[in-house]
This record gives sequence, C-alpha cells and structure tokens, in this order.
Amino acid sequence: MNCYVLGLALYPAIKRAAGHRLEEMVYHTSHAALDHAGIHRRELDHVTLGACDELDGRSISSMLMAMPAGAYMVDEIKVTDSAASALCLEVARLKSEEFDIGLVASWCKSSKTDVESVMRLRGEPFYTRPFGLDMGMSEAMLAQAVAEEFGVSAEQANERVIKAYARASANPRGLSQAVPTLAEVAASPYEATPLRAMHRAPLSDGAVCMVVASERWLARHPQHRPLARIAGVGWAADSYRLDRARLRDFNSARKAWAQALRMSGLPDASSIDVMELETPTVYHEAAYEQVLGLDASTQISPSGGAFAQNPLFCTGLVGAAEAVLQVAGQAGAVQVPGARRAAAHSCHGYAQQGNVFMIFEQVGGAHD
Amino acid sequence: MTEQVAVLSTWQSEFKLRHPSMTYVEQAQEAAAGCMAKLGMRPDDIDAIVYSLAPTAFMGVADADRWAIDHIFGAGKPMLRVHTGGATGGSVVQAAHSLVRSGMYRTVMIVGAERISETPDAQKVLNQIFDPFYEKDMPLQTITAVALMANTYMRRHGITQEDVARLVVRQRRNALLNPHAHLKGNITVDEVMASPMIAYPFKLFDVCPRSSGGAAMIVGNMDAARQWQTRPAFITGVGAVSDSNWIGDRIVPSAEYDFIDWKLMRVAGRAAFERAGITDPIHQIQVAEVYDAFSIQGLTQLEQLGFCASGTGFLLEGEGAWEMDGGQVAVCPSGGTLCTNPIAVAGLVRAIEAANQVMGTAGDHQVKNVRRSLATAVGGIAQFLTCSVFSNEPYEAH
Repeated sequence: MNCYVLGLALYPAIKRAAGHRLEEMVYHTSHAALDHAGIHRRELDHVTLGACDELDGRSISSMLMAMPAGAYMVDEIKVTDSAASALCLEVARLKSEEFDIGLVASWCKSSKTDVESVMRLRGEPFYTRPFGLDMGMSEAMLAQAVAEEFGVSAEQANERVIKAYARASANPRGLSQAVPTLAEVAASPYEATPLRAMHRAPLSDGAVCMVVASERWLARHPQHRPLARIAGVGWAADSYRLDRARLRDFNSARKAWAQALRMSGLPDASSIDVMELETPTVYHEAAYEQVLGLDASTQISPSGGAFAQNPLFCTGLVGAAEAVLQVAGQAGAVQVPGARRAAAHSCHGYAQQGNVFMIFEQVGGAHD
Repeated sequence: MTEQVAVLSTWQSEFKLRHPSMTYVEQAQEAAAGCMAKLGMRPDDIDAIVYSLAPTAFMGVADADRWAIDHIFGAGKPMLRVHTGGATGGSVVQAAHSLVRSGMYRTVMIVGAERISETPDAQKVLNQIFDPFYEKDMPLQTITAVALMANTYMRRHGITQEDVARLVVRQRRNALLNPHAHLKGNITVDEVMASPMIAYPFKLFDVCPRSSGGAAMIVGNMDAARQWQTRPAFITGVGAVSDSNWIGDRIVPSAEYDFIDWKLMRVAGRAAFERAGITDPIHQIQVAEVYDAFSIQGLTQLEQLGFCASGTGFLLEGEGAWEMDGGQVAVCPSGGTLCTNPIAVAGLVRAIEAANQVMGTAGDHQVKNVRRSLATAVGGIAQFLTCSVFSNEPYEAH
C-alpha cells in the first residue's frame, strides 16, 4: 500500500509566537494543512500526533492539543520521540490498511519553555543528573567526538555556520535571520567546548501538519493530486550511554538510514537529490554528510534546516515538509531544480540518541 | 497485502506499591527479558520496540524510555514511545499491531514499567493535565472529575452506592486468584461502604491503588507465530477515539456523545468489532478486561460496547452476570485496573490478561472455553478510549 502526502502547512517561522496560544498555533496550522489538501476535518479517519509533554509544560499534552490538531471524534495516537517518529507510525497505520486518510501534527513553543531545565530533567537520577548534563553539554560532547572522528576543525565549523545561514536566509518559510560574518561566528561565546553559541541552531516556535493518504483513498478520490509519495521511512534508537563508541559511531543513524533506503528500494544515497538534515549544531551536519555517504550530487538542507527555523522536537518534520515541497516543485526560492527524490532527517535525545529518516518521491514515478 | 497479528508472549510483574530493590530500568528489563525468555527468544529475534510510558512527571525522569533502551535490549532497534495518558497501554498494543500488520516488522515487543509511588502525591501531578487558565486552579484531579461523572450516572439510572460496591467485592475476590494483582481479598459490601470517603460517591475501595511494576507483550506476524507459539491469540480488531478535553462541552445537550453514559466507547468498540467480525458481543466474547480505575467505569463501558443496555450494568452485577463462573461474560477476572493500576502499563496489562485468557495461560483465574476477549483502556477524563479484540483464530474482515 503506497502512502502519499496530500497537503501540508507550517506555522510561520517565528522566534516567539506571542500572539497565539499553543492550541491556536496548532489549530491554524492543522486547518491550513487540511485546506492545502482540499479536504475537511471530518474526512480524516485518524490522527497521529508527535508531542513532548515536558516541552509543552503539561502532564498529558494531547488532552488540550488533540482537538485543535483535528483529533476530534477520530482515532488518535501520540508518540513522544519526535515529530518525524509520528510520520513513521503514520506510514505503518496506512500500510496496515485499517486507515485511509490521516493527519500528522506536531508543535513546540520553545520560547515559553526553560528548555535546558527540561533537558536536565531527562537525565537518569543516579549518574547523569548529578553532574547537570543538559542539551548544550551533550551536544558539545558529540561535537568533540565528531571533530576527532571526522576531522572537523573549528574553522570548518565556522564556515558551515555561514553557509547554513546563507541557505536559510533565502527560505521564505524561515526566520529570515541575517547571515553572520566569520568574525562574528568566531567571536561568539563558548557554551561548552568546542561549541560556540553560533554553532548551534537557535530555537524558535513552530508547528507543522501533514495530511497523508493511502493509494486506496486516492483511487477513490481522483480529483486530489498528492504532493509526494512516501517511499520509505526508517528509525532507530541508540544506547543511552554517552561513551566513546556511542558518540562516534552514529549507529542509530546508520541503521535508520539503511532501513529507509531498503523500504524505498534504493541501494544508497546517490539517487537522493535533496537531504534535509536536522542539525542542532554544525558538527552534526559534518558528521551526517559522511555517515550517510552524501556527496555533491545531493543538495544538503537547501531550506537552511534548523538554521531556518528550529521548533525543537518538530524540526525534523519541518524538514520533511521542506523535502515534500522540493519534490512537488513548490519550494519557492530554495527550490532545487529537477528534484525528484528528497529525504528528511530528524534526531532526538541526548547527542542524537535516536534518528529518523523519511524519503519522498515525486508523484508520477515508477510506483504511481 | 497485510499480515495477521498474533500475540506470541506476555509477561507482567507482581504489582505493589513499591519495588525498592529495583530501579525503574531494571523493572523494564525484567519485563522485556521475562517476555522473551518465555519463548526462548533472544534480543535479535525482536525487530522493533514500542515503549509504554504515560506521564513522566510521576517518576521525575523525562527520558525514562530512552534511559531504558540498553536495559530492554533496544540499542540499534527501531523504537517508538507512545503516550496517551491512561490509554497508553491500549495505544501501544494498537501501534505494535500497525507495525506488524503493515508488513514493516515481523516481531515487535511492547514493554514498559511504572513507578508512580516515586511521587508523593500523584493527584498533584494529575492536576497538571487540566487547562492552565480555566481548570487547573480548581481542585480537579482524576478522582474528583470522575466522581462528578459517577454522581450524575448513578442519579440518572437509580444506581446506589451498594450496587457499585458489589462490583468492588467481586473484583477484589477475582484478584485473589491473580498473583500479579495489587489489591485483593474477600471483602463485603459493608466494608466497601465503611471505607473512608475520598470524593462522593467514591470511598477508598472504589478507587484504584498506585501500583508499581512492569509488563511486556511480544506480537508477530503469522510466520513468527508458527515459529514461536503453538497457541497464539490473534489481535483481530482495534478501535480508538479521542474526544474534546472540555468537559463542559461534553455534558451539554449539543454534545455529540453523552459523556456521563460513556457513549463514546461505542465508537471505539464499533471500529474494533467491525474489524473483528463481532456482531453479538455478549455471545461472541467470553472475557472483558475493561479499564476501570474507578468502580463506576468498567460496566459503563460494557454497556456501550453492547453487552447490556445503558444503566443496567450494575443491576446485572447483582444477578451475577459478570462472574467468572456462571456469569454471562467474565468481567475483569484479573481484578481489573480497580485492583492494579500501574498507569504507564495499566492498559497493556488489560491486553495481556485478555490475550492470556484466549491463549489459556491466565493461571488460576483462567475462564473456561474462551474463544474471544476484549481489552479497553481510558486516558484523560474519558477522553482517549481504545478497544482491542483478541481471538483464538485469525479473522479478516471483508
């Protein structure tokens, strides 16, 4: 059973969405995605949510968020790993042939959250929490490992920041942040060695929704033309221990990528035109390029990725939306000419403990 | 082409207030290892994992699932954590069902653990589920909110507290036969009535305990079932539905479904029954493991699932309709959530008990001649509902 993206919407990128409650952000985004797909909420037969209670500041976030997202009187389920993980489960739900058309929704209002306090709360109480491990520290540990394992110098990292912001500045769906100079990057304060503040993608508020349909539904509704086929998904989790092997091997990324390629029927990354990576730091980007075997034939994060907008937790699904727009030829100013197959990536947990990959194909390919 | 989904193995711990000799991750490990060991499976025999974990605030570790990955042999495997509040244990079964039925994985392990007693007062955590602007400042938590529902239901249908107490007596007695159950005993209606008032009409014995423990289930496709299990239970039907959070909107005349009578359970039940080919539940289903964190909750669901008319469940209780031996349907032969409530895995325990009954492995509380069973789960304030049907043979709806 093939699965297709029928419509999508992104909440306008913004550092701090002061004008809307979280519920309103999600309602408007869900509504826009349904409009984009040309369907009404009541046509949905299921909803799959990706949300994080701790970042939302609620014990069961979906109690307040499910209905604004469109999950009213319909089968709904929530995963908490990442928004991209919700899309993976969504694919399984459609392929089970028990559902035909659903909506995937995710959100984060990082501006109202003390993110590092949430990250410290993630630590297990015996060894990790006492020394105060947070997101910045765990990413710096990863950056140190990447710098050694993949030979990434501080200067190369600084240059990657410039390029990421340059790509992001062209993205009409991004934060439109100014491109810094090399001197500004090099002078930005150290947060945890070797990470400087500007090596990290700044957090923002956001929401993303996708309407996804089975080929059975599309056959019954020939008036609808999908944006993309979901060719494959893959996800994996890695060890909790931040030891030398865990930080250098990128084991879960390799396994998730292999799974997504296998499901897509692809031997390797060579036929991927666009890869939207979730890169909390530029060191992540440097590592993933090598781990995934990406070369010059693949455009890396033309949207600017996390440097265009970074609503923590749902950044990976924002990247998936950008990848879908690429194969649909609707990416606007950041469109890669001739993009037929685009992938998106998400990572989650301390120092990318979990990784998710999604591969989208232009509609009208061999499978349609 | 879709796959049949079979329950291959189940495991649950002894549930009690605390397990001070173990850490949380060791509880999860015990469940995972125990479930695999029953069949002689090794970690490499598990293709993917679905992790069952409801609010993390009870234990205070926001990444408890990720902390547990090494302990449950999950490093390098595809893993998802599902969280739909109290319905989590029902939702994880349905997520795993999708992963196998879709053909994406041959075997999936569902695992989780609960350690709710780490928090001094779970109801203060549960107050945080309500809207921060309008509801949180009121003394709303799960007990008071459900007590308001119970009051209206009992007045509407002329149900007395003694009627409800008879259910508590039956389920505590059932739990005596269940080595995993937390609360159990031969108690009387008078003792239920004399237990301390918590929130009218709920006395202490009308309310579930805070239980700690772990649980796991391994599901697989037909090929895996042939390899690992001579008598599997097949998951033949799944259904779920979500309602509005706003209780006010759910009790007005314009509400789509009657909140007090749990009419929404019909929606989840209808979806599950259609997929499982159930048209006459009271004659086709022999065991119902309904999620009843409070004494009022189980039979109200049963009414909406078509086992009896609205408002008659407690009257039939008095006639012995839900007894393990000689009843029309065995309702919660395990003692139910009322006797054991490890929130993160409470719905999973319902599913395990329902599957065990079909597999003939329920032990001393095994009901005779079980061909089909069902399990429900409830999250939020009756906002998230799931219903799953288990059968001794596969079924494919057409």
